[in-house]
Amino acid sequence: MSSKIDFAGSALARCAPSDATAVAGPTPSQTSARFGSITLAALALPGLVAPIGAQVAPLEEGVIAAKFGVYEDRQPGLTRVRAISPSLYIASPIASSWSFEGSLTHDNVSGASPRWHSSISSASRMADHRTAATAKLTKSFERVAVALGGAYSDEQDYRSRAGSLELRIASADNNRTWSIAFAHTDDNIFPTNRAARGATRRTNELGLSVTQNWTKHDVVQLAISRAEGRGYYNDPYKIVDIRPRERDQTTATLRWNHFIASSGDALRTSYRFYSDSFGIRAHTLDAAYAKALNDRWIVTPTLRYHTQSAANFYYDPVYDPVVGEPFPVVLGRFASPDHRLSAFGAVTVGVRADWKLDSRWTLDAKLERYEQRSSWRLGGGGSPGLAPLTALIAQIGFTRTF
Amino acid sequence: MRDTLEHIETPALERIELDSQATVFRFRAMASPCEVCVEGLSSLAAEVAAQKAANEVARIEAKYSRYRSDSIVSRINAAAGGDWIAIDDETRSLLEFAQSLARESEGLFDITSGVLRRVWDFRAGKLPEESSLSETLALIGTERILLDGSNVRLADALMEIDLGGFGKEYAADRAAAVLAAEGVRHGFVNLGGDLRALGPKQSGEPWSIGIAHPREPENTIASISLRTGALATSGDYERFFEHDGQRYCHILNPKTGRPVTHWQSISVLAPVCAAAGALATIAMLREAHALEFLDAQGCGYLAIRFDGERFAR
Repeated sequence: MSSKIDFAGSALARCAPSDATAVAGPTPSQTSARFGSITLAALALPGLVAPIGAQVAPLEEGVIAAKFGVYEDRQPGLTRVRAISPSLYIASPIASSWSFEGSLTHDNVSGASPRWHSSISSASRMADHRTAATAKLTKSFERVAVALGGAYSDEQDYRSRAGSLELRIASADNNRTWSIAFAHTDDNIFPTNRAARGATRRTNELGLSVTQNWTKHDVVQLAISRAEGRGYYNDPYKIVDIRPRERDQTTATLRWNHFIASSGDALRTSYRFYSDSFGIRAHTLDAAYAKALNDRWIVTPTLRYHTQSAANFYYDPVYDPVVGEPFPVVLGRFASPDHRLSAFGAVTVGVRADWKLDSRWTLDAKLERYEQRSSWRLGGGGSPGLAPLTALIAQIGFTRTF
Repeated sequence: MRDTLEHIETPALERIELDSQATVFRFRAMASPCEVCVEGLSSLAAEVAAQKAANEVARIEAKYSRYRSDSIVSRINAAAGGDWIAIDDETRSLLEFAQSLARESEGLFDITSGVLRRVWDFRAGKLPEESSLSETLALIGTERILLDGSNVRLADALMEIDLGGFGKEYAADRAAAVLAAEGVRHGFVNLGGDLRALGPKQSGEPWSIGIAHPREPENTIASISLRTGALATSGDYERFFEHDGQRYCHILNPKTGRPVTHWQSISVLAPVCAAAGALATIAMLREAHALEFLDAQGCGYLAIRFDGERFAR
């Protein structure tokens, strides 16, 4: 099973190719790369209509991007998982009002079997490959765009297929965009240890968002999504891991992008509230400041804080005095030792650099460090007995427009 | 946004049905032939939209023309070296834009450089005296436009400003905004060669815009496809004279006081016309270093060098 840190992964998010920016509008990686300083100064003139229009406008140029990412996480004394992910992203206008976006990712995952209580170090070795592909076709009308998406992910013991349909509508003044999207995901789990044969899971997700150009320099977005999943949620590689067969997830995200015309910098912030029927409540704060050093370089420091409560059935690493680990003291109807379901806080710090070689080519590099600790949970009360988890994420890539 | 300026003449529109879809309205403003092309509106709605766009151009001309004594530009110039003049938000934004252009062009684009016209007489076609040229150069400098909130003052009594460097382009953008507000989604505004398109033809096809040949006024040298955004051209052929076989054009370098010579014309594509026009003029002023500047600014262009060689991106 996919083992990278991915809280409440969303089918809608997966159906959108990974490079799609959640909030359109002035972000330096897009805007500055396309507009020089003089155009930006001209855009501050009064009474001009926005040149790029709303998000329903069809793509006018194609983008191809390739990334190479490395992920490695560790706990004290144990390097657990290493993943190497090359990926390819393409977006292209294909006719006057049609555009296509697609992505292809391949992960090579190796390392110790993850997600046990960290006190248990008798980890078996694992190696896995994952191949994931997404495709999205968009038809743009005057102020409306319809997008049909598909996503496919395949690994040795897991297969996921998703389809999505999205409708975007721009207001008459192009300053507001509504979006409504529906996605359906079918997952199939075939554990190599045959703990579950032919297990399936189906998820329906509905997402609504409104994006508003608040001022010339501010874009705000409110996005709400609800996902209802039914089926197999257990971790088949854990001896005591029995989870409910339904999981309903609600997410509300508020984003604010502020663009500073004088310097070409941009501040991107977001707050996300997450709640699910497992009993997890999470809050995530995200901030990135894209600093335009000159016409060619953008450096973006990023900071993210995540805090969550534990799932109702998560059990602390306190084991049955007679049987011993991994059996919990009290085995309820449901139980899981998965540390992703524990109560913790996590901080991600990172920096990204974009180097624009010329009008067509951009190189980028990103380095992020993730650290998760029980004691960092907001207000205390983190799950006891877990060693801190750290992860390093590095990525280099290029983007070319055509 | 209504101005209190009196006697703004309403431009008279000449209506031309191009084909079953497109209607072109021609009028004169800013000493140039102008046109508004509209597709996809009823005949009446198209005319109303075009008239409002033309009125907007006339409003900007009346407000900013240095040839009109009641324009805000003339009043600022008349008060040079003296009192502060109160200005509105629009004027302040334009002056701030001028300051940005001066900064981004390292002083090459300067709305105070019009004083050079006092020593360059394009009608008489003779070269200026070195001494009067250097005296005039001392009057130039956007940093000597003093902006204090909603008041402006020129530091020296002999200074003057001229928004001609981007006024027509700004008017094209504003006229396009008027058309957009009238529901126009397919059409463009062309003010004497400075174009702003609102969107492609109804069929989705781009507009095909001819670029004038800099040496053969009747011919075009290329055509550019434009769907949205703007196209502006700066050339050495708008006003010039020849002296001893050398062409002296009206684009004067505010640092040397001399006309540019490296390019016959530069056409620039940018999202808005005010940017396209400024980029084209700055590129002309950067002479041999024009193309690296345009590349860094991320815009498309067609540049024709003094020897007729073309460069495009």
